[in-house]
Amino acid sequence: MTTATDTLVGASTDFLKRFSPFDQMEPDALAFLAERVLLGFFSKGSTILSAEMGQPRYFYIIQRGKVQANQSGDVALTEYATMTLGPGECFPIGAISAGRPSTNTYMALEDSFCFQLPADDFLELMRISAVFHVFCTQYIASLLSQSRQQLQTTFSQRAAEQQTMTTPLGHLIKRDPVFVTPETSTRSALEKMDELRIGCMVVADADSRPVGILTQSDLLSRIVLPAFDLNRPIADVMTASPQVLPMTATAYDAALEMATHARRHLLVVDADDKLRGVVSERDLFSLQRIGLRQIRASIEGADDIESLQRASRDIRQLALNLIAQGIGAEQLTRFISALNDALTRRIITLELSRHELFGVPFCWLAFGSEGRHEQTLSTDQDNGIIFTPPEGQHDALKQKLLAFAKDANEALAACGFPLCKGNIMASNPDLCLTLDEWKRRFGAWIREPDPQALLNASIFFDFRVLYGSEKIGDQLRRWLLDYARGNSTFLRMMAHNALTVAPPLGRFRDFVVEDDGMIDLKKSGARLFVDVARILSLRAGVEASSTVQRLRQAGQRSNVPAEELNAITDGFHFIQLLRLRSQHLDTEHDAPGDNKIDPDTLNELDRRILKEAFRQARKLQLRLKLDYQL
Amino acid sequence: MTWLSRLLPGAHPPVALSPDVQAMLHAWQQAADTDLDTLHSETRYVIVNTEATGLDLSKDRLLSVAGIAIEGGLINPRLAFCQALDPDPADALAKLLTFIGKSPVVVFNAAFNKRVLLNAFEHVLDIEPACQWVDLYWLLPGLFAERNHNAAKLAEWMAAMKIETFQRHHALGDAYAIAQLFLAAQARARMLGHRTPRALIELEHTRQRLQRAP
Repeated sequence: MTTATDTLVGASTDFLKRFSPFDQMEPDALAFLAERVLLGFFSKGSTILSAEMGQPRYFYIIQRGKVQANQSGDVALTEYATMTLGPGECFPIGAISAGRPSTNTYMALEDSFCFQLPADDFLELMRISAVFHVFCTQYIASLLSQSRQQLQTTFSQRAAEQQTMTTPLGHLIKRDPVFVTPETSTRSALEKMDELRIGCMVVADADSRPVGILTQSDLLSRIVLPAFDLNRPIADVMTASPQVLPMTATAYDAALEMATHARRHLLVVDADDKLRGVVSERDLFSLQRIGLRQIRASIEGADDIESLQRASRDIRQLALNLIAQGIGAEQLTRFISALNDALTRRIITLELSRHELFGVPFCWLAFGSEGRHEQTLSTDQDNGIIFTPPEGQHDALKQKLLAFAKDANEALAACGFPLCKGNIMASNPDLCLTLDEWKRRFGAWIREPDPQALLNASIFFDFRVLYGSEKIGDQLRRWLLDYARGNSTFLRMMAHNALTVAPPLGRFRDFVVEDDGMIDLKKSGARLFVDVARILSLRAGVEASSTVQRLRQAGQRSNVPAEELNAITDGFHFIQLLRLRSQHLDTEHDAPGDNKIDPDTLNELDRRILKEAFRQARKLQLRLKLDYQL
Repeated sequence: MTWLSRLLPGAHPPVALSPDVQAMLHAWQQAADTDLDTLHSETRYVIVNTEATGLDLSKDRLLSVAGIAIEGGLINPRLAFCQALDPDPADALAKLLTFIGKSPVVVFNAAFNKRVLLNAFEHVLDIEPACQWVDLYWLLPGLFAERNHNAAKLAEWMAAMKIETFQRHHALGDAYAIAQLFLAAQARARMLGHRTPRALIELEHTRQRLQRAP
């Protein structure tokens, strides 16, 4: 390297050091960056990068000037529509990390200079600099949360329909009223609308009493087409005597008024007719009818199937609301699971009161996804019973329990948990067993792991106690962990089985799809994580039954770095979220959630994250493969 | 040997160049001439700047020379050159010429920079390289006519275009500023339809004639 190069690199280094994350960067990495950046110029108004340019060739760091990022395409991927970047800020992080065309268009707002790092060097920098890696990862993680927010908007429309319509309008007003006086020039009124980004402008007299309104939808017919002179007062163009409602009127009154008069905005006035705010159509859609606690209380207090059926519908609604609020998959499945548990327990309690089983030591088990706390909204029931019969009463007690279980299964079906097609239900005599009988069954599968035994293990080993004696369940769990741990052939066979399905990542295309063009998010998504987690938990003696807990605890015991575990569980959660979302969208058409999605209908960001989630699954599988030399 | 003595008539000693320098000059002469009709994005330009004790050609001494190449419309720090004339002026100048190659040479204020360089090449290396010169002093007002200011000095253009450099009045420091100015000029020229080195040179000459017309 010549001294001249040293000098120029030094100048770039000095510049970069003024900005985060470069100021924190390791000296070697910063030198690597400064030596490789090229300086380019972009005239005001020119496009620096867009989706049409394909895979970005450079990573840009603005040296001087301003660059505007605009979302391209129909789907809003992030919470901003446009964003202005200044010196020291960089782009496009997500697109260049993923090797995909940018979803934003970047345009120079003024004459701008940018340092440009070739894409390969960007990736190398990510590799050699922990600081830069964290910076980019955090940026991409923020995309994840933005994706969640986007989900929120998709659902707010639907959630809107279930809010309470009896809320007084006074509670729906979001901000202080904005208004102008009648003599204000139309131009300045419009400028104010634009500045505040409001859809209508209220005109009020000196006492704040509304005398007129001008809405965005009036602009074309009243101002643009007739070439209205913008210097004239707004009074000349407004709608006089606008519709007003008192603060005490309800959301229902407002909705009715809007529907009757085809209005999008209503003015809310107080007892003195003074303007207190504007309620728009959208404001009516922001409350929710049902809360978690309310459902809980209604379940606990339910005395018959009808009230439980109502509660079951409410749980679905709540799930919809929670998605609309942007809640993550982890919390969402926990809520669903908690409420379904409460519902199931109540059903069992009600059924028990109709059967003579007082004092019988037994417990009700949940298997499969319910056992893992990972129920989605279209999960069949999978359950069984462990009981401890007093000497000589085995058969009589079993008959009683089966009769009870049959009623409980029917009641659950009536409350929205479809009967299991494979008859994995407590009313099946094969699944209503004593502790020793269960051990024999489990033991037989472990000793002779034929395909059916492995399939059974994948359902039954995810059991947990839903009702009754936890102690019996714990005994079975500890026995199982001890027994499986000592049987490496079984674990190896399980591992082999878990690796038969690969994540649907394509070598040339992003995703490998099935014949119908779809990806099955359960079979070739969630299950990949679930299966590996089960093996790891059996091997490491982890008692938890949920996939995430299993991965975390088993991972910690074998010293897998926390970031790696987080990346894996994030991937799993994202697939679960997509599953829940597609089930919701499906329930709109009353079709059963079938866990399938068409990747072409995903937006750019979701595609990118899904791909990463599948990569995490592949990583997890690879770990297993190495462990068992498969 | 002072710069002044080289300018005096009769003080033109026979040039005794080292084999290294001779080899560099030979290679330079053999290199193919640049095509002036390529697009800016495909043209290698070399920004050249000098540092002297002052601006008087008859008195001042050349201290150092610097070059920055622009390829693909980008400044690459690896493509930079800077060397003091002391202790070996022939080596410094031959290396500069090698760095330039046959690329179009971009300077600010050719009246001084081009002159001083050509003199040096002639006196030290006994060579009169036929380079293609682009002088931003004339080109910038032609490209940014709408700015309509009387910027003449490098500092004024830098202020107008909000360009900074790490060190002023230093051969490489000023070259870096000139290089950035040239990037802006290139982008502007492209917008105005001047897409090749030839177009830039012609625009500059037109501008000079206009300015000198009474």
